[in-house]
Amino acid sequence: MAAYILRRFVSTIAVMAMVGIFVFLLLRLAPGDPAAMIAGKSATAEMIAGIREKMGLNDPMPVQFIRWVRDMLGGDFGTSIFAGRPVLQLISQRLEPTISLSILTMIVSVTIGVSFGILAAWRAGGLVDRILTAFATLGFSVPVFVVGFFLIYLFAITAHWLPVQGYKPIDHGFGPWLVHLILPTVTLSIPYIAFIARITRASMLEVLSEDYMRTAAAKGASSYSMLFHHALKNAGVPILTVIGLSFAGLIGGVVITETVFNIPGVGRLVVDAINNRDYPIIQGVLILVSGLYVLINLAVDLSYTLVDPRIRY
Amino acid sequence: MTISRRNLIKMGVAAGTAVSIPSILRAQTSPTDARTVRMAMGNALSVYDPIWTATNITADHGLAIYDTLFSLDSKFTSQPQMVEKWNVSEDTKTYTFELREGLSWHDGTPVTAADCVASIRRWGEVSSGGQLIMARANEISKKDDKTFTIVLKEPLGILIDVLADLTPPCLFIMREQDASRPATEQVTTNIGSGPFKFNEALTTPGASVTYDRNERYVPRKQPSDGLAGGKIVKVDRVIWEFIAEQQTALAALQAGEIDFFEQPSADLYPLIESDPNLELQVLNETGNHVCLRINSLQKPFNNVKARQAILHLVDQEAFMRVMDPRNGRPETSIFGEPISNDENTGWYKKGGDPEKAKQLFAEAGYAGEKVVILDPTDIPILDNPSQLLAATLRKIGVNAELAPSDWSAITTRRAKKVPVEEDGWSIFITSEADYSLSNPLGSPLLLANGDNAWYGWPKSDEYEALRAKWADVNTIEDRKALARQMQHIWWDFVGDVRLGKYLSPVARRKTLSGLIGVPVQLVPMWNMQKA
Repeated sequence: MAAYILRRFVSTIAVMAMVGIFVFLLLRLAPGDPAAMIAGKSATAEMIAGIREKMGLNDPMPVQFIRWVRDMLGGDFGTSIFAGRPVLQLISQRLEPTISLSILTMIVSVTIGVSFGILAAWRAGGLVDRILTAFATLGFSVPVFVVGFFLIYLFAITAHWLPVQGYKPIDHGFGPWLVHLILPTVTLSIPYIAFIARITRASMLEVLSEDYMRTAAAKGASSYSMLFHHALKNAGVPILTVIGLSFAGLIGGVVITETVFNIPGVGRLVVDAINNRDYPIIQGVLILVSGLYVLINLAVDLSYTLVDPRIRY
Repeated sequence: MTISRRNLIKMGVAAGTAVSIPSILRAQTSPTDARTVRMAMGNALSVYDPIWTATNITADHGLAIYDTLFSLDSKFTSQPQMVEKWNVSEDTKTYTFELREGLSWHDGTPVTAADCVASIRRWGEVSSGGQLIMARANEISKKDDKTFTIVLKEPLGILIDVLADLTPPCLFIMREQDASRPATEQVTTNIGSGPFKFNEALTTPGASVTYDRNERYVPRKQPSDGLAGGKIVKVDRVIWEFIAEQQTALAALQAGEIDFFEQPSADLYPLIESDPNLELQVLNETGNHVCLRINSLQKPFNNVKARQAILHLVDQEAFMRVMDPRNGRPETSIFGEPISNDENTGWYKKGGDPEKAKQLFAEAGYAGEKVVILDPTDIPILDNPSQLLAATLRKIGVNAELAPSDWSAITTRRAKKVPVEEDGWSIFITSEADYSLSNPLGSPLLLANGDNAWYGWPKSDEYEALRAKWADVNTIEDRKALARQMQHIWWDFVGDVRLGKYLSPVARRKTLSGLIGVPVQLVPMWNMQKA
C-alpha cells in the first residue's frame, strides 16, 4: 500500500508538471495582453509597451518559463500582475468560500443522492421510482444558473427568507455562514444529487438481482438489513467512484454558482484573472486544482479497500 | 384520539420552530444599516494605484482615499481643492501654490508641499497632460512645507485645467515616499489624505473593498459643487461589492442588500423602473461617445473615400437603438462639452445614406477586400453595434466579417498594423467619455499623427498643426474657435466615425440620496446619505 501511495504521489507531480507546461504555453499563445488591461481602455500603444517592458512580459518565452519554473520549485507561485500580491496569498483568501460550498454540496448531494438511489432501486418500477427518476433527469438537465435565479426569486426576493448573494466567513458566526450558503448549496447540489441517485439506483439494482440477495431474503433478512448491510456495501465501489469524481469536478466547477451568488471563491478569482490575462493567478490556480484532482482520485482509490476487502494495492 | 402531554410539547416546539425560521433567516439578511452604504461597482478593484493604471475603478478608489490639488465644479471649471491660493507671475511662467490648513495623511502626518511635488512628477510620467507640464517645466520645487512652485520654460495657458483633469490617470496627491517610486511600480500602501480611509482588514482583493470615513478630514468651507467645494462625508462606511452577474446585482438591490448598482445593462431598466423602491439616475449627464476606429493604413480604408463612405453610411439613430434606446442621441462633434460644435457636419443624414456610401466605396476602388470588424462579445454596448455595422456593410456589398473575442484579446489585435490576412483588422468600436474628448492634448482618440496616433493611425499634418496650438490657447472662446477649425479638417480626412452618444445611468435605492454627478464614469462617495 505504501509503495502504491508513493507511486501515485510521484505521478501527481508529473501530472502537475504537464499541466504547468500546457497552461503556460496556452496562456502565452492565447490573444490578450495584461499590460493593455492595466493601462486602461484608451491607453496608447506606447504606454502599453512601457508596461510590458517593465513587467518582463517582453522577455522571450523560454526565459519567462524558466523563471516561472525556478520560482515554482522554490515554492513561489509568483505575484499577481494586477494586485501585486503573492498568488498563494490571493488563492488562500478565496479558498474558504469554495471549500465551504464544495463540502456542503457534497454532504447534501451524497446524503440525498444515495438515499434517493436506494429508495428508487428498492421500489424499482413503482411510482416512487418513476418520480425520483424524473427528478434525476430534470435535475441533471436544467442549467445551474436557471435553478439559481429561480431560487433567488423565490426565497430571497419574494419570501425574504435568505440573502440573494454574498458570503460570510465562518468566523463571523455559524448562522450567517450557513444562511449565505443555503441557496448556493441547493443550486449546486441538484445536478449532483441527480447524478449520484442515478448511479446508486443502477448499482443497487444490479446487486439486488444477485443470488445472494435472494438467499438473504429466503433466510428472513429484514429489508433494512438487505438494503444497507448486503446490497449497499456491494454496490459501493461505483458509488464511491462517482462521489469522488463529483467532488473533484466540483472544485473546478463552482464557477457558475459562485458567479450567480457572488461568492468570492477561487472560481471567481480565476475568471477575473482570465479576463485580465493575469497569468500567474491562472497558472497557480490550475496547478493547485490539478494537484487536488489527482489527490482526490487517489483518496477514492484507497477508499475502495474500505468497502471491498478483496481490493489490495 | 388522545394526545399525550409529551407529544403536545413536541408539537408545540416543532410548530414554534417552523414559524420562527423565516424571521431568524430574515434577521440574517437584514438590510444594510443607515450609516453604511453598499455599492455594486461596475468592475472589480484589483489595482490600488491610480497612477499605475488608468482604469475607472482605480480612479474611483483614488477619489475616495486621495485628494487633488484642484477639482472641477459642476460647470467644468477648475477650482482649488487642496490648494488654498495660487498665483501666476507676470510673465505667466511661474505658478505658486499654497496648501490649505488641516491637510493630513491617514496616518496622522501632515501633507506637505514635498508630497505634492513628488506626486506631480510621478503623474507626469504617465498622464498625457502631466507629460505636457513636465516637457514645459523648468523646475517643480517646494518653497516651504506649505508652498511649491512650477516654473515653466514657456507659458502654458491650460496648466490649471490640466492639474484638475478628471481623465484617468488623475493627479491624486500621494505621500512623498510613495510618489517617489517610478510610475511603473505599483503603490499599495493606500494611505491618502482624502475623505475616506481604506480598511484593508475588511477587504478581499477583487471581491469587496471597505472604506471608512476619515474623521480627520477637514473639508473646504465652500458648498459642494461637482467635485469642487467641501467634501462632506455623511456615512460611516462604504462597502464596494463586485457582483459580476447583472441579474444578481439587481436582485441584491431589490432585496435591499445593496444600495447602489453602478452599471445596470439597458435590458434591466424596465425592471428597475417598475420597482417602487428603486430609481435610475444619470450621474454623467454629458455621456459617452461611441467611436468607430478605422484602420487607415490598410485597404480599403487607406483611401479617404472609403472612410468617408463609412461616415455617410452610419445611421446613428439605428445604432443608438441597439446601444441605448432610451437615452441615446446622435453626436456629430468630435469634441465633448464645452467645445462641442457643428462644424463641417453636412455628412449627417437621418437614416444614413447607403447610396452615397456605395458610390464612395466605388470611387475608392473597393474590389471586395475583406473588412474585419473586431467584436468584443463581453461588452454588450460595443458588441451590438459591431454586429449592426457588419450587417449594414454587407447590405451595400462590402465583404464584412466579424472577429468575435473578449475585449482583452482585442487590446492585442488592435495594435497590429498588418493587413487582415495577417491577423490585422479594419474596424473596431470603442467608447470615450464626452468630457475626455474636450481636451485634444489629453485624449489619444483625438490624435492624427499617423504611426504615433491611437489605433487606426489617422494622419493629417494640417490638423496636427492646429492641435499643437491648443496648449497655448487661454480662453474658452479661443478654444472653441480652434476646435471648430480642427473639426472641419477631421471630418474631411475622417480620423474616426461617431455612432452617437449614450448615457449610462446608475440604479439606486430611493433611500440613498446626494450622489454627485460628474462628467466621467467616476463615482464620488462624499455627500451621499441614507434615509
